Amino acid sequence: MRLEKWITIIFLLSIVAFLVPAIASDHSVAATHDTEHVSTHGAGHASAETGHGNVHASAESHGHRDEGHGGGHGDHINLGEVLPLWSCIPFACMLFSIALFPLLAPKFWHHHFGKVSAFWAACIGIPFVIAYKSVAVHEILHIILADYVPFIVLLWALFTISGGIVLKGTLRGTPIVNTIIILIGTVLASWMGTTGAAMLLIRPFLKANDYRKNKTFMVVFFIFLVANIGGSLTPLGDPPLFLGFLHGVSFFWTMKIMPHMLVTAGILLTIYFILDTYHYKKEGLTSAPVEEGKKEPLKLVGLHNFIFLGGVVGSVLISGIVDWGEVNTLGIHRAVQDWARDGFLILMGTLSLLTTSKMIYEDNEFSWFPIIEVAYLFIGIFVTMVPCLLILKAGLKGELGFLIAAVKEPVHYFWVTGTLSGFLDNAPTYLTFFNTALGAFYPGMPEAQAVPLLMTETSIYLKAISAGAVFFGAFSYIGNAPNFMVRSIAEEGGTSMPSFFGYILKYSLVFLLPTFVVVTLIFF
Amino acid sequence: MEFKKILFPTKFRELAFNSLESILELKKAGLKEIVLTYIIPRDEVGFVPYGGYMKDEEERLREQTRIRFEDWQEAIAAEGIESKIRIEVGNPIPKLLRIAEEEKVDLIIAGRKKRTMLGKVYVGSHTLELIRRSTVPILVSKYMVRFEWEGEQITRVNDRLFTAPLLATDWSEPSEKALKLVSSFKEIADKVMVTHIIGVKISKGLDKSELNRIEKESKERLEKYCDRLKKDGINAEPHLFSGQSAPEIIRVAREHKASMIVMGTTGKDRFKEFWLGSVSHRVTESSELPVLLVP
Repeated sequence: MRLEKWITIIFLLSIVAFLVPAIASDHSVAATHDTEHVSTHGAGHASAETGHGNVHASAESHGHRDEGHGGGHGDHINLGEVLPLWSCIPFACMLFSIALFPLLAPKFWHHHFGKVSAFWAACIGIPFVIAYKSVAVHEILHIILADYVPFIVLLWALFTISGGIVLKGTLRGTPIVNTIIILIGTVLASWMGTTGAAMLLIRPFLKANDYRKNKTFMVVFFIFLVANIGGSLTPLGDPPLFLGFLHGVSFFWTMKIMPHMLVTAGILLTIYFILDTYHYKKEGLTSAPVEEGKKEPLKLVGLHNFIFLGGVVGSVLISGIVDWGEVNTLGIHRAVQDWARDGFLILMGTLSLLTTSKMIYEDNEFSWFPIIEVAYLFIGIFVTMVPCLLILKAGLKGELGFLIAAVKEPVHYFWVTGTLSGFLDNAPTYLTFFNTALGAFYPGMPEAQAVPLLMTETSIYLKAISAGAVFFGAFSYIGNAPNFMVRSIAEEGGTSMPSFFGYILKYSLVFLLPTFVVVTLIFF
Repeated sequence: MEFKKILFPTKFRELAFNSLESILELKKAGLKEIVLTYIIPRDEVGFVPYGGYMKDEEERLREQTRIRFEDWQEAIAAEGIESKIRIEVGNPIPKLLRIAEEEKVDLIIAGRKKRTMLGKVYVGSHTLELIRRSTVPILVSKYMVRFEWEGEQITRVNDRLFTAPLLATDWSEPSEKALKLVSSFKEIADKVMVTHIIGVKISKGLDKSELNRIEKESKERLEKYCDRLKKDGINAEPHLFSGQSAPEIIRVAREHKASMIVMGTTGKDRFKEFWLGSVSHRVTESSELPVLLVP
């Protein structure tokens, strides 16, 4: 059977499957209530009245001050309690598409990932809207405006600004120099994003090690530390933490991950240094290699972009401190400072583009393609994850109550969030378990009240989720977006990289797994 | 000044080989080597979302391109011209400019846009960027084009580029360089039409005597250009017109059956050029003839 037919069948089945129980549920509810309130966000001080027939959507959402993500209140029916478990299937399919297509059909995936993303989004989006009308529209709009837009805007700004900085000059990749480069990248990652730090340093790192025979392990450790673990200290560092910030986790709370990060980075950097020294000696490179041509002094070009980077840090920080009220956009209440932050980030990125020489982007081999890919894929991820998040927020009353009941201890959160983050993208995984924790500890409580409690009285759980999502992002190529960018650049430059399973078997299981066991023993 | 070494980048669009064949007659004008170049756009093989890099695909494309180029090389060798192949991965425009610099080429050949709608432009944004940034002359070849003239649709094959070039001069330094290049076409050009357009901006508001002075001065300069070409053994004829520069050049080239247009590009006002386009760029975009631009 042709692919198109399969796509059509899956799509039609998803509509039918969604509509039948929704209509049944609608009838039973209509029999008891003349006017039904379907509460998806709990109580709020502003209601988006979107009455269609006899359904009201008492909904409120305003960025990280959203008080609505909770659950049922009074007579309101919580959508998360009525949604079936299989409404999470498109989300799972979306994530498995990201995991499996690059392995099984890379060429198809490379040219059609946008369509795949749109397909899974439509599979859930269309029947969801047909079944739950304005409530579903509100939910989808909410996740797009409150989560997806700021998420993509931040990634775009960091990607653009860091693309305008280039490290030039002659570096000789000795074990000490390499360890220092990775260390600098690890520190920078929390402030310019794992993607930004990785893109800034990977080409100079590879160039410095041009003369080395075995470069594979170097790139792998670069992915471990610069593209993942280094980004664990601020919401700017790694996308999952920014999603946490958008949902109310304060900017500096993330610094509480520092002990976990220091232990992990310390162990891995030490292992790296030993490995590099071993290979350096094995390759007979104890003396400095003969320089071909003139030695160029090291210099950072496009330094003014650090001002824009400062602007990004400042605007994100300020948006978490000030309260400038709210604004209603398409029925979604968002804090003014959140819109202002997004606008400022766009301004920073635009100014960077306008003031940076084209030659710098060319020296960086800059391409918009990776960020466009992320934008296409994440719209699919965010739309398909709507039912899943609602069910999780419903706590034990939702169809995923068994998961909430099973994941109890911090160690569970660390390993379950981590393991899934390693094989599915870590941003949606973080949000899933963030909501699992909210559902488990504060079911029905508005997010604005629950998140501060999660940051204080049950902070060990949030630490476990945060560390798990960020650290385990390094576990496979698909754990975090910069992993595949670094791999792509390394392979293009002629560095042979392990296969998907080779990476896990030869590196993640050997180096990361024992390190995470140590982290577990110490902290969880 | 002659074209000894040419960079011939291609995307293997239809008639690319014919376009290559059409420049082989430059052998008589001193051509010694052609660098056949194909740039595999990085986005075609790299940054597979969550996948990385398709090394196999790169190898396949390289092999496929090499086989095609080897076939082309036979045709080039048959004309007694040397050739080499360069296949690289990257961002096409900067990569081409870098290769042009490394190979020290004298000319870059650029193709026309993939599809040309009637009344639309013949060159795309990539070619324009290449023109803007190149420090070596660029020939926009346009092997086969369709255009509308006096209500009729005409298909034109530009296979004999160098027989009757129209040199459009504005007396600038690049125009002077263009004249020197045209001088090397002695063996391949039947005649050269040296043309100058007194632009509207210059003639606007001037009294008749001043206009006469400019006209006289322009004629004298045109004669001098022609004399220099004649001295090099090339038949040359002067043409002086006034009006909107770009449309006039296109009209004159069409009416006098020019085989190509040769122009200098000053790049004086980059801001204005970015928004409005220079005369040379507008001619390149709109003329159905191949255009040789000399920076």
